[in-house]
Amino acid sequence: MGSSAPGSIRIRLFASLREQAGWTERQWLLEQPTTAEELWRTLELPGAMDAVRVAINQRFASANTPLQNGDELAFLPPISGG
Amino acid sequence: MEQPIAIQIRLHLERFDPLGSLQQWEQQLLEAGQQRAAACSSFIGRVRGSKANGVVALELEHYPGMTEAELQRIAESVGTHHGALACLIEHRVGRIAVNDAIVCVAVWADRRGPAQRCCQELLEELKHNAPFWKREWSADGSSQWIEGNTPL
Repeated sequence: MGSSAPGSIRIRLFASLREQAGWTERQWLLEQPTTAEELWRTLELPGAMDAVRVAINQRFASANTPLQNGDELAFLPPISGG
Repeated sequence: MEQPIAIQIRLHLERFDPLGSLQQWEQQLLEAGQQRAAACSSFIGRVRGSKANGVVALELEHYPGMTEAELQRIAESVGTHHGALACLIEHRVGRIAVNDAIVCVAVWADRRGPAQRCCQELLEELKHNAPFWKREWSADGSSQWIEGNTPL
């Protein structure tokens, strides 16, 4: 968090998505306003985004939510708990 | 004023005894001054294994912090909706052997209807909305991520 420009976010992947993409987390410089949906394409993450849910700062969020400096963005493949 | 629901959420990194958890949970509620509820419903889920599918273990990945927060939110929301008096959710993470417990959910309520409905809804909600991911391990060392849930 904070006001340091241009700012960065932390991106995290889980489970099958992490293994397909080949990375667990990375810092991303926010050089211009962006959203999870745009980052999905920019990062060339595998497969369609339809089945993937987005969390921002550990809360479910819309993929169109503008990302802020210091955010933790996570892409969550289909959940299978219990 | 309505009494707040007593909620206990716990993730286990190691094998746990769900019957012991239930007993301990009830004891803690009583020691905290809560009156014993007339109805208690509980569910214990274990790792399914069979010779047919060759699964020897299950691995449960979670999102530390978010998983606990979502379980808390689910318990508050579903428990309030059903008028529950207390809710317990205990869940394993990590590698789990066949027949070991994965999940234990329990509800105290005034009547069997809300107790049973709340217990079932808690389980369905956590299966679909708490960030957990299952991976099945086979005897030959191969593994497969499971997307989605088994039928009700």
